[in-house]
Amino acid sequence: MKQLFNWFRLRSLEGGLDRELQYHFDCRVADLTAAGIPEPDARRRVAVELGLAQVREEIRDVWLTRWFRDFLYDLRFSGRSFLRSPGFTAATLLSLALGIGATTAIYSLVDQVILHALPIHDPARLVLVDWDGDQVGGGFGSWNLMSYPICRDLQQQTRFFDGVLCRAEIQVNLSAGGDPKPVAAEIVSGSYFPVLGVSPALGRLIEDPDDAAPGAGPVVVLSNDFWQAEFGGAADIVGRKLLINQHPMTVVGVAVAAFHGVDIGAVPALWIPASMYAEAIPGAEDLLRRPTFWMQILARLRPDITPVQAQTGLQPWFKAWLQDNMLRPGFPVITDDRRRDYLASTLELTPAPQGHSPLRRSLSQPLWLLFAATGVLLGLACLNVAGLFLARGSARGREIATRLALGASRGRIGRQLLADSVLLALAGGVLGVAVAPFAIGALIAFLPKDFAASNLHGTLSLRLLVFTFFASLTAGLLSGLTPALHAGSGSLVSSLRERAGTGFGGVRLRKCIVTLQVALSLILLIGASLFVRTLAGLLAKGPGFETSGVLSFAIAPVQSGYSRAEAARLVRRLDEEVRALPTTLNSAAARVPFLTGGSWNNSITIETDRRVVTHLVNLNAVSPGFFSTLGIRILAGRDFDARDSRPVGEAGHRSAIVNEAFVRRYLAGRDPLGIHIGEGSGPDVKPDVVVVGVCAGFNYRDLRDDSEKAFFPIFEGEDAGATFYVKVRGAPEQAIPSIRRIVRQADPRLPILWFRTLGDQVNRSLTTERLLASLSSSFGALALLLSLIGLYGVMSFVVTRRTREIGIRLALGATGASAIRLVLRDAVTMIAGGIAIALPCVAALSKLVQSQLFGVTATDPAAVAVAALVLAAGALTAAFIPAWRASNVSPTDALRLE
Amino acid sequence: MPSPRFPIPQGTLDMLILQILSLEPAHGYGIAQRLEQISRSVVQVNQGSLYPALHRLEQKGWLRAEWKQSETGREAKFYSLTPAGRRQLTVEKDSWARLSGAVNLIFEEGSR
Repeated sequence: MKQLFNWFRLRSLEGGLDRELQYHFDCRVADLTAAGIPEPDARRRVAVELGLAQVREEIRDVWLTRWFRDFLYDLRFSGRSFLRSPGFTAATLLSLALGIGATTAIYSLVDQVILHALPIHDPARLVLVDWDGDQVGGGFGSWNLMSYPICRDLQQQTRFFDGVLCRAEIQVNLSAGGDPKPVAAEIVSGSYFPVLGVSPALGRLIEDPDDAAPGAGPVVVLSNDFWQAEFGGAADIVGRKLLINQHPMTVVGVAVAAFHGVDIGAVPALWIPASMYAEAIPGAEDLLRRPTFWMQILARLRPDITPVQAQTGLQPWFKAWLQDNMLRPGFPVITDDRRRDYLASTLELTPAPQGHSPLRRSLSQPLWLLFAATGVLLGLACLNVAGLFLARGSARGREIATRLALGASRGRIGRQLLADSVLLALAGGVLGVAVAPFAIGALIAFLPKDFAASNLHGTLSLRLLVFTFFASLTAGLLSGLTPALHAGSGSLVSSLRERAGTGFGGVRLRKCIVTLQVALSLILLIGASLFVRTLAGLLAKGPGFETSGVLSFAIAPVQSGYSRAEAARLVRRLDEEVRALPTTLNSAAARVPFLTGGSWNNSITIETDRRVVTHLVNLNAVSPGFFSTLGIRILAGRDFDARDSRPVGEAGHRSAIVNEAFVRRYLAGRDPLGIHIGEGSGPDVKPDVVVVGVCAGFNYRDLRDDSEKAFFPIFEGEDAGATFYVKVRGAPEQAIPSIRRIVRQADPRLPILWFRTLGDQVNRSLTTERLLASLSSSFGALALLLSLIGLYGVMSFVVTRRTREIGIRLALGATGASAIRLVLRDAVTMIAGGIAIALPCVAALSKLVQSQLFGVTATDPAAVAVAALVLAAGALTAAFIPAWRASNVSPTDALRLE
Repeated sequence: MPSPRFPIPQGTLDMLILQILSLEPAHGYGIAQRLEQISRSVVQVNQGSLYPALHRLEQKGWLRAEWKQSETGREAKFYSLTPAGRRQLTVEKDSWARLSGAVNLIFEEGSR
């Protein structure tokens, strides 16, 4: 460390030393002349005594240590030699910059999505509290759902927790004077901000009294970004009234800029206390007391408690709690089996320093896969650089041999070569860092954007820079190691005797490197072909319904103050008016949008000669004409019509349509028409809904979904809004203005949540697949390019070295074709070796990727064959160029070379 | 003919420098002169090797250096002992005494 510091003040150290030695010199000379020696003689004698040059060198070694000083000289020497051969430098630099840049970009996402802890006080003590077992109660939302009462009760467990919070992601209509618009929000317990340890940038945050009783806290806290974007950072924001779903609420403060909620994938614009659930989530009933599962619970452990201790310690309390909970209002009537499952439930605590995020859940496996792929790519780039260094090493053979002959140690020369590669890799790292923000930005653009923007960004953090530095250093050491070791071997005499440029140059080593490169790039190519086939397969299969010319849009009138009955009337009216538009071919409405990843699901009780309760079935409510609008065939029975709708306010459904998969699984061998079913699984479920039709299979949640489904009629006053599907003549976008006009005429203040073509919706649902396919293809292509360059380099080198031999062969009557064969044989050996290495690796890795695939297995012979063919064709082409050159060798020229 | 002055044994230079500086701060030339005087011109110190030793001891934190006016009126770099250097001197004196005691013991035994 001291040495490093010395390096920066080397100039002042040198100055001091000069003065010090000069003083000694002058004093000694003065003493000697005083003793009667003439000055010129005295000077000469003192100079010999001191040995100034030697002393200076020794002292410099003291300052910097020998090793460090030599290394600095090596770097300087490397820098100079790189500037002398710009072509070589550019080639190696570009290989490394590509590898490091790609790794940095993917690592940035890995870091932000998977690894990065929340910017809060001591995030390491945060745990996610989840329910393991049968929750019995109903709910809404996705992943790790818990109820508000559990959170309240967990707050009493101060033996384990310093605090417990609960939160849910919601969406509200916000109006600050102008037209209302949908924004993302987080509805939170009063403990949310205190437990996380977040402070306000302005005013105050939500506190316990705001969440004391239903309706107690008509307040909101704005996120810093939203405050800046929407209110221009107005200083007088505190105290302003906003309308949330048409209910007035007061802004009490703004959170600090660094804090964006606990979910990196869904950043809220504002926070609302859980006490305001009725206003924030229209139609929600008694959420603070009922066991409805709709929030995630995060807790802060006491400093001396581990998650395992807390989990074990909580179980006895939780057993008792489960018993008590059955007595709460709203607890459903359940069978004995169900009760047993319910009572066997446990609490599960997992460390959650990164908060809670469905985005992390869905992206982490693809991201790790891509990260591994970039690692392979970086390895390939290192191998390429190592190959180029070996080639250069052979060109520099004489220089190195001369240095060895003059007494340089082999270790010293190896270190010089290592300095070369480290310098190069660090320069590559700098280039990589320079392009990384753009690459990260492009990656983030792949992810879908909804109301809740993700908090992913392309800026460079210190962690990222540290990562890149170490990645570059590793790359430098890896790529320099082989040449460095190689420089230390070989006979000195023979290399001095060889003529410049004909050195052996570690051809065998370079062939090994190319074989390894071929293997690595084949692995990446096979991965790419698997992901491309998955995407292509999903796109070709489609969702099972008509997507061209279909436009979807959604409204949620209940959030604008409508009652459910009014909302149902509005939806019906809009449906009719849209249908009457001249551009409309057909139109229908559904309660839950399709292909968004979410669904409404519940068990179904089927009454035939006995009572069957199904597993979770995907449910939806649709309007008459829905199936024909989307081109879904009705296989048996009929579509819904006016007969099926009950008057608004009358509970329950009259009829249902189920899909093919439902019939196959639960009604095998029976005529499904006329069978009675009911929603739910309890003994109190009355199966009084008649199945009137069977529809063909199609996708609901996403393109991989082939679940059992059941549909009920819409327009029965149960809906907060609806998603419309409009089949139009011509381009769907052209219909948007007229539909907007219809909605505006019906209610000028009602926001349209989105306008999207179904084609677009299909694309959005394939985000991960598209990310994997396009990135793995570009990585595969880059890998292929790198290994082809490596192969070409080695083959050209071999041909140059064997020019004389080939010339003699040709002179003795060999044909050009046989010369080509001679050279290609080498290339084929390397390609075959690479393929032989890669295939077992692919088989071993197949488990890791299988879950991301669709319609192909990880060892799909066609995918493997295509990748191997592409690789072999490319590699043979790369090898053919030098081979062809060999066949054109003129025997006389070749012999004259000698 | 044996030289009247023999070269300083390896590793003892540091100890001698510390010893000289334990009396009072001095500059490089002063230390060189003092070394000659103290050893009554028996020990020959290569003037050149003095400076690397001084810088090494300074780097180790045993010496501290500052530029001060010397007796000739010019600025000279004066070295003085740090507390760590003082401790080091005791350690080295100690081990030297043990070593020379042991060597003497062996010699006496041999001559008996």
